[in-house]
Amino acid sequence: MTWKDALGDRVPDDLGREIDTYENQMALKRQGKIDDKVFAETRLRRGAYGQRYDNGQRNDGTGVKPLPFPSSGQTKGPDTVWDAPGMQRIKIPFGGLTTDQMETLAELAEEYSDRVVHITTRQDIQLHYVHIDDTPDLMRRLAAVGITTREACGNTVRNVTACPIAGICRDEAFDVTPYAQASMRFLLGHPDAQDFGRKFKVAFSGCRQHACGLVNMHDFGAIGVTKEVDGVTQRGFEVYVGGGLGAVPHEAKLFEPFMAEDEILPTLQAMSRVFARLGEKKNRARARIKFLVAQLGLEEFRRLVRKERAALPGDDRWTGYLDALPAYGEQPLKTGQALGDEAGSPAFQAWARTNVYHQRQPGYVTATVSLPLGDLSSDQLRQLADVARRFVGDAVRATVEQNIVLRWVRESDLPALHGELDAIGLARPGAESIADITACPGTDTCKLGIASSRGLAAELERRLADQLDTMDESVRRLRIKVSGCFNSCGQHHISDLGFYGVSRHVGGHVVAHFQVVLGGKWVDNGGAYGLAIAAVPSKNIPEVVRRITDRYVAERDGAESFYAFTARVGKRALRDMLDDLMAVPAHEVDASYYRDWGDPREFGIGDMGVGECAGEVVSLTEFDLAGAESQIFEGQLQLEEGNFERADALAYGAMLQAARGLIKTEDIDISDDAEQIVSEFRRRFFDTEIFFDRFAGGKFAQYLFRRHERSTPADGLDTARQLIEEAQLFVEATHACQARLAAQPVVMPPPLDATTGAGRPS
Amino acid sequence: MNDVTTPTPSTHVNDLQRIALKVFLTDDSTLDPRDVIPVFHRWIQTQAVDGLLIDVADYTHLPTGPSVLLVAHEGQYALDRTDGRLGFQYTRTRPLEGPLAERLGGLGRTLVQAARLLETDATLPGPVRFAGNDIACVANDRLLAPNTTETLTAFRPALEAFLHTVSGEADWSLTREPDPGAPFAVRAQAPTPATLGSVASRLAASHEA
Repeated sequence: MTWKDALGDRVPDDLGREIDTYENQMALKRQGKIDDKVFAETRLRRGAYGQRYDNGQRNDGTGVKPLPFPSSGQTKGPDTVWDAPGMQRIKIPFGGLTTDQMETLAELAEEYSDRVVHITTRQDIQLHYVHIDDTPDLMRRLAAVGITTREACGNTVRNVTACPIAGICRDEAFDVTPYAQASMRFLLGHPDAQDFGRKFKVAFSGCRQHACGLVNMHDFGAIGVTKEVDGVTQRGFEVYVGGGLGAVPHEAKLFEPFMAEDEILPTLQAMSRVFARLGEKKNRARARIKFLVAQLGLEEFRRLVRKERAALPGDDRWTGYLDALPAYGEQPLKTGQALGDEAGSPAFQAWARTNVYHQRQPGYVTATVSLPLGDLSSDQLRQLADVARRFVGDAVRATVEQNIVLRWVRESDLPALHGELDAIGLARPGAESIADITACPGTDTCKLGIASSRGLAAELERRLADQLDTMDESVRRLRIKVSGCFNSCGQHHISDLGFYGVSRHVGGHVVAHFQVVLGGKWVDNGGAYGLAIAAVPSKNIPEVVRRITDRYVAERDGAESFYAFTARVGKRALRDMLDDLMAVPAHEVDASYYRDWGDPREFGIGDMGVGECAGEVVSLTEFDLAGAESQIFEGQLQLEEGNFERADALAYGAMLQAARGLIKTEDIDISDDAEQIVSEFRRRFFDTEIFFDRFAGGKFAQYLFRRHERSTPADGLDTARQLIEEAQLFVEATHACQARLAAQPVVMPPPLDATTGAGRPS
Repeated sequence: MNDVTTPTPSTHVNDLQRIALKVFLTDDSTLDPRDVIPVFHRWIQTQAVDGLLIDVADYTHLPTGPSVLLVAHEGQYALDRTDGRLGFQYTRTRPLEGPLAERLGGLGRTLVQAARLLETDATLPGPVRFAGNDIACVANDRLLAPNTTETLTAFRPALEAFLHTVSGEADWSLTREPDPGAPFAVRAQAPTPATLGSVASRLAASHEA
């Protein structure tokens, strides 16, 4: 008996065939008939990811040890062992969940995962520790409740996200849900969206001012707007393109101020064609559409898309869904009714104050189920499905803040709902507050994680939750977002207080740090991106939060926003506040700094013997790295003052100084001539691939090469800002390279020949 | 639970592989789940328990479900808080050889060996003791073992054989998980208290025999 037999025709034919094909490809891979890279992309397009340690090795705190999986050499991708557990990402378009789907997800978490369901920052669901052999049945069971994992990853159109309160929002132009749904259906498996060099993310928002849709950070973002034409209200979208976070964030550009609703799908198709045809394919690091827009210029990109649009053969699906729009809408389970005068318990009041949103429809509210770190157990999800079924039916959505909202709650039901949520441990107050922290998986499960984003977030949540009741309201409303690395899955750039994981080499050890990112804006659809001002040891981050928020409370000018406050006070002053926190005590003084949050292992690469010779050279390198970081910071200040050329020069100088520092590990006499630095860096660290990141390859080095080859400095905000971001990443990569070098066994150099210098380390 | 056409339990329960066994902390025990995180990491370093040990997952922020997981290739060890009661659970995720009762015995030995290590771990403030007369058995496989009375009927012989091994002639009462959406689970309780040490001895003796 199999799930395929048991589910029978409950699995739609098309989805069933796709999953059968995937299962066949798994069989062929086991027989060695499919190339590693091809199979990796195949499973990724089904949402079946790799997971940390799937290369068959792990640092257990005493050193890197093999994990001898019984795979007999079988792999599921390059350097990815077949039997190693993986992560399954499950696309949930616009975060919309039915109660049946919730129950199925709970069952899958129990049977194939670790009994925990994780909500992502793009309204997806992730299950961890899944064996690839289980994925076909997992997908069939999802298909039976109308969920496909197709194109949950890979170089495809990813989950189409939308504001989780679309349709009930007091400020929206109109409900964008059906447009998000139509876009998802239209683009899923579309032939024009299968040949991208990189992923393509789409988001819809019903307003400009809130954050729910995060249009500004998407490849294609659409904000619902209306206009009057001959006395008739027409729906359309303010369309943005080329946004994205990641290592080098780009704010989206306005593509069109009013795109008629019937043009959304054909424009998406045309844009897909242009992206597939002209987007970068070889260099993954430059393959997002943001780079294409930057390379072509917005005008040219727009012209190409419009030309492509004009040439497209007609497709009924472009407008077919529009006919059903008047009838679209969720039907509330119960008749609306206001809450009476009853005050309720203090716990209810605290919860209602932060977790309840009054819908524009009288008598209804939306209740947010605040999930710590985006997690809930399978039991909780099943029980939540039961609660939802009785209170709101299928009006449930996952949010980009890693929570779940129950829409269309009858207001008078709130005390009862709170009681039921409390009984299953899901009545945590403080939703969408400073204590409701967003975090990517980080080092817990992500292969790219550098520091423990979840560990830090959990620690901050513990500390801040206790203070919520007494906290200044202006601080309570702030957002904290944490990423385990620079890739920004935790969306640290658009947070009030953002953090991303880096490492620093200190006295022969590697220490987890977080870059403190300020200047981001959560509102206005992620309206501004912050920049890193200082790398602080992970263990000092709670104190960073305390100091900065205390100063905000003390010095806030009236109703001044945190964004405006940080801009007014300035990064230099804010950084000065953190100076003492950037220091790391010696290991023998306080070993806790050398372990990450929630992880008792010695952080990083463990057994690092450092000889005297190397020690001296390392200190010189560190000196240069510190200088490079100072230049970057100074560059940020110049950027803020509009001195783009100066900012560019400082960022370029920072990269040169970092590269020079690294070269000093081999040639202490390296000059400060840019040409020689770049040449030597290329010869010693790029051509040899010593500088290469395990996953990113040589992309960070290319930042230096590209700037060095460019004769003219940046003359605009975007290009100068991009170079500062790139310089920051280059310096981080230099830190990482230095740490790798330091971790290698020290080989004492032969004695120097006094006359020729022969024997000098090279 | 979603309505799925399921096979006849009596013919398929014996194929069950995704089985979990859990023992519960005694009332006089004191254990902060967060204290177990370094213990699990140490177990990986020293290969202290069965299986290819991969990583530790911290879910101490969740009020129910797994609190701290030690993930192995073959299964998962967990300090588990399902239904709010803290206990120690081993969940098999990869296939085991042998008849069902034998597989249960193997799971029991793996569970008890690891739980005994927790009981005797000097780094835990403690006391940490698990009851040997209170065992939960969960079948994480709705295809082969839907949560029905028929499944219990089919599963009972193997479970009782296992329980007999655990404590001889004790009069175990079996209670099936009432929530039809939850996985098939049986709580087995015997009136006479038993230490995990005694259970370990009996399981070992039975295995050697």
